[in-house]
Amino acid sequence: MNIKELYQEIILEHGKNPRNLRKTDNFNKEAKGNNPLCGDNVHVYLKLNGEKKIEDISFEGSGCAISMASASIMTDLLKGKEELEVKEIVNDFLGMIKENPELESKKLKKDEKTKLMCLSGVKQYPMRVKCATLSWHTLISAIDNTQEEINTEKLD
Amino acid sequence: MSIDNIKKEFPIFNNKVHNNDLVYLDSANSSQKPQSVIDRVNDFYSKEFSNVGRSVHYLAVAATNLYETTRSSVQKYINAKDKNEIVFTKGATEAINLIANTFGQKYLKEGDEILITELEHHSNYVPWHFLRKSKGIKIEFAEVNSDGEVTIENIEKKITSKTKLIGITHLSNVTGAILPIKEITELAHSKGITVLVDGCQGAPHLKLDMQDLDCDFYAISCHKMYGPTGLGILYAKKKWLEELPPYQGGGGMIKEVKKDSISYGDLPNKYEAGTMATAQVIAFDKSIKFLEKIGMENIINHEQELIEYGQEILRKNNSVKLIGNPKNKGAVLSFTIEGVHPHDIATILDEDGVAIRAGHHCCQILHDKLGITASARASLGVYNTKNDLDQLNSSINNCKKIFNL
Repeated sequence: MNIKELYQEIILEHGKNPRNLRKTDNFNKEAKGNNPLCGDNVHVYLKLNGEKKIEDISFEGSGCAISMASASIMTDLLKGKEELEVKEIVNDFLGMIKENPELESKKLKKDEKTKLMCLSGVKQYPMRVKCATLSWHTLISAIDNTQEEINTEKLD
Repeated sequence: MSIDNIKKEFPIFNNKVHNNDLVYLDSANSSQKPQSVIDRVNDFYSKEFSNVGRSVHYLAVAATNLYETTRSSVQKYINAKDKNEIVFTKGATEAINLIANTFGQKYLKEGDEILITELEHHSNYVPWHFLRKSKGIKIEFAEVNSDGEVTIENIEKKITSKTKLIGITHLSNVTGAILPIKEITELAHSKGITVLVDGCQGAPHLKLDMQDLDCDFYAISCHKMYGPTGLGILYAKKKWLEELPPYQGGGGMIKEVKKDSISYGDLPNKYEAGTMATAQVIAFDKSIKFLEKIGMENIINHEQELIEYGQEILRKNNSVKLIGNPKNKGAVLSFTIEGVHPHDIATILDEDGVAIRAGHHCCQILHDKLGITASARASLGVYNTKNDLDQLNSSINNCKKIFNL
């Protein structure tokens, strides 16, 4: 595989100019995650409204192009979606990065799938998978209000 | 043995990485192994294997002799006064833990201070942290200066009447700074302070003379010295090994065991409980022979030439920033590229067969001080050439191109 399939333009662009890299005002959910091997860290903030819809989602942190792009694309894509929908999409994304060839969730539109599949190149780089999944695991932890900090070394 | 053709001694370089020649620049992490060391492990298991120090049969006696031969070789190599000052451990980490544990147990009490530096690897910090938790000792850090060195003045500044031990690296695994151990030891001893040196990076790249350095303890990692993994060496002055309590209990370290009393074995057995890394110890003799054949002076000259060349070409490369500029520098080139995270650098370089390390290199204190979370590190071994450094530079350029820099 060519290294350029991992570092596609869209990833470099999101890595360089991450969307939603800020702290949500009046957030009501949050979680921290870190990747001790790389030193990547992320703090995800969520504002869920009364109908459990994501009114705003943002993140703070630092890390490599893959982890920043992944968090940027994630926050961009999930804003406005409902909690249950979000959980399904996160599972689908993690499943795809881990083993599934494609994204399967019906909650994802075609262009959204295309966008997420840009991160699929990381599957060929086992040491970098954690960079792509850190913010997603952290998001779930925020939704579930888990107090524990996400640590990529403790994940499967 | 000529250093120019030394790559031939290392079979790993016959392999391709992503269809490219391997450019191995991660020796500070672990060095590659020469054929003679690999063969020795194989031969010992194939023809000579037995446990050591216990049985009286032919193989056991022969293996014990080989095991002790390595101890003598190490003693000569590092110019220790006595063969029994050499203790085999599972690594330098265990060597430092051994001292922290036994020295801490016997000599440290609440309020006592251990002085380390901001350059230290986690393995020369965390063991002392355990004592901070269990005994309430304090840990002080001698400051690193803007060149990535720790000067003797900065050490002296942090010495107090409560300082009991100075734990210090010989050669920084991030900035490459070589610390003046002899002078530091002299200063420490004049104030009655004990000195432990983390020699993980010092041992593969510097000439070692324990009697000249005069430090109390020196920890060595064998796998960074072209030797097998799972093996380290603790050098300790004999008086310490006699005075300190044993570290681990078990077979091999005892003299007599009764229901109500136990007496411990003589040196060095007192500190080598259980079955040791026998094959690794025996093969390590070949690593020492390998280093002796090339000659430490030749190694130092070769590596110095490379370090200077590496610094020169990387300094010319825009957006590459070298970490540290110590006057005495060995074997390590750490850097950052503005706009590219070190992990992205390492992945892209790997595609070209260039193996470097990215991260905090087990030196989070130093990286915090530098205000970065990670750095990229190219580290050298005897087998590296200017060509390797040119390849590093051209892969860095490729990396910059991918990131549109």
